[in-house]
Amino acid sequence: MAKRLGVYVCECGTNIADKVDIDKVLAAVSALKDVEVADRYKLLCSGDGQGYLKQSITENGLTHLVVAACSPKQHETTFMKVCEQAGLNPYLFQLVNIREQCAWVTPDGEEATDKAIRQIRAAISRVHYHTALEKKGMECNPDVLVIGGGIAGIKASQILAAPDRKVYLVEKTASLGGKTKRFSKLFVNMESGPGLIAGEIERLQKSKNIEVLTESEAEQILGFLGNFEVKVVSKAEDKEDKEQNFNVGAVVLATGFELFDAKGLPQYGYGTLDDVYTSLDFEEMNLADGPTQGKVLLKNGQPPKSAAIIHCVGRAEKGYCSKVCCLYSFKFDRMLQSQLPGVKIAHFYSDLCIPGKANQKFYEDTRESGVEFVRSAVTEIAGGDKGLTVKYETETGAKGDLAVDMVILLPAMETSSDARKFAEMLNIPQDDKGFLAEEHQLLSPVASAVEGVFVIGCARGPQSIAESIVQAEAAAGKILSALVPGRKLELEVKTSQILESFCTGCKTCIEVCPYGAITFDEDRRISVVNEVLCHGCGNCAAACPSGAARLKHFTFPQIYQELKEVLR
Amino acid sequence: MGEGFTPRIVGFLCNWCSYAGADLAGAAKLEIPASLSVIRVMCSGRVDPVLVATALLQGADGVLIAGCHPGDCHYREGNYYARRRFALLKKTLETLGLDTERLMLAWVSASEGQRFGEVANQFAGQIMELGPNPMKTKISL
Repeated sequence: MAKRLGVYVCECGTNIADKVDIDKVLAAVSALKDVEVADRYKLLCSGDGQGYLKQSITENGLTHLVVAACSPKQHETTFMKVCEQAGLNPYLFQLVNIREQCAWVTPDGEEATDKAIRQIRAAISRVHYHTALEKKGMECNPDVLVIGGGIAGIKASQILAAPDRKVYLVEKTASLGGKTKRFSKLFVNMESGPGLIAGEIERLQKSKNIEVLTESEAEQILGFLGNFEVKVVSKAEDKEDKEQNFNVGAVVLATGFELFDAKGLPQYGYGTLDDVYTSLDFEEMNLADGPTQGKVLLKNGQPPKSAAIIHCVGRAEKGYCSKVCCLYSFKFDRMLQSQLPGVKIAHFYSDLCIPGKANQKFYEDTRESGVEFVRSAVTEIAGGDKGLTVKYETETGAKGDLAVDMVILLPAMETSSDARKFAEMLNIPQDDKGFLAEEHQLLSPVASAVEGVFVIGCARGPQSIAESIVQAEAAAGKILSALVPGRKLELEVKTSQILESFCTGCKTCIEVCPYGAITFDEDRRISVVNEVLCHGCGNCAAACPSGAARLKHFTFPQIYQELKEVLR
Repeated sequence: MGEGFTPRIVGFLCNWCSYAGADLAGAAKLEIPASLSVIRVMCSGRVDPVLVATALLQGADGVLIAGCHPGDCHYREGNYYARRRFALLKKTLETLGLDTERLMLAWVSASEGQRFGEVANQFAGQIMELGPNPMKTKISL
């Protein structure tokens, strides 16, 4: 079939028309090969403009379309929709950016006009080599795997479970609730952690669509958004290992945190001196079902008369602030004061981190209650017959000692030991601190680099309970909108393909693909692209030594056509 | 040099960062040399050395490749590949005794309109000084 090209130049009000001599442009391109129509319009993206374009495509029986207007970032999809409405495949269209990258940046009108002509000629040349591409849809599985039964995992599961969506909540320990259920009180309202968790677990159990797998671990997860194959192994102590296989459409990692090992800093005496505790030890001591039935007691069974709280243990070593320690330390003050009237407490800190609308008052109330704050660096915790001594040095270099009965260390929070396992299993990066990395810190904070895998709570960095829950809700929202039961997933159209007859089986493409989208077909001895996984970057096309790998819509001939015209 | 010389410079810009940066330069009405023609690619990792060599053989006086900053690639690591290919290509050109000053690799993010303007003007200035690409006339394949 003969080609019939339409070339339309948008005036964009005065944005383009003021600088580019559009009539001269039209005169220069209207005689080019196969150009059937070349016309101008005052504002093509307007309702009228789109209507005009649609009508003109149909009336002239156009087979290819070139529009010279604004950036593709602005209106490429607008004009692609017009193509669809006019019965023209939207990939037989090329948009030329003569506004942002021509009219607006070229002060001289003549130069701008010449540049516009070159760019439009390039597009006309290119569009001759375009091929029609079809949108593809894929059936998706709406079910979700949530790994980690702490507060983040529990909240995500609650929101996601629905009559048409099953949630598998996998927890490696014997019970749900994570760290939160071991916090007798929560800042800033001093609610009960176990109480809060009990309520959330009850809500979870009411849902018929959540399968909770405790003492279980995900051993293998293969696949992509909409279709992951999961293998979970349950390792209950007195039972045989039980393997379960199922499919899900998305994975939420809520693997939580662990504390920096304070034994790594011997000057604090943790593990060697009696009555030096970490924050988690102290939480444990305050639990009704804890080792002391909730009583704060020294090793010798006596209640302490004084306590020192040491901030930022391991902050310098880890290289970040864990952001919740200051806040829960003020909670510790209240827990000590309520059990032990008259107890003397001193905080040793270098910086306090107390952002947030409710937290300033929490801190001020703590100070007013008589708690002492000593801005200093703790150089050593020394033991002795009569208790412990905190040795410190203030900013001015003055040295001091304080005798106390008990020391509570606030160690940095670090990623759970499982992070590496899941990073490797799912091919998602860890950040330089070891946490599971978000796709983009600002723009995509709960998604990972792998589509369909989400990272929430302390798995992606230190978080408060409130923040963890916000992230659980955010990830759930993203999953709910991406995996709609009965609706197909739209796949990337501009994927790579590997031409069988050109492929030498060198596997270079497999090496360079950032998404693991290319596999080797041993029978045919060639590489094969999985179009579901391919994101269309074209790295394989650039690397392929035999020209077998081609990125649709950005093939060598297409780019070459553009190149040769702009160099004219 | 440069008397009556109108250079032709090709810029391969990645869709997500540098192309958006160039758009931003436009929105800020910065002046970009008209000699620079932009070809949009999805990723700087798509720019294979053959494409760049072809541009030079077709008479490009300069070729600019611009992508996302290291660590910020929309496709995770395409820009690292672009960087390696660029280094290799420069080495190859050097070995052949050809001008490597006609090539430039730059990182420009979507928010760096100003930087795109600086890169484009600096590179165009460099090409003006170098004068016409001798490969246009000397080499024929």
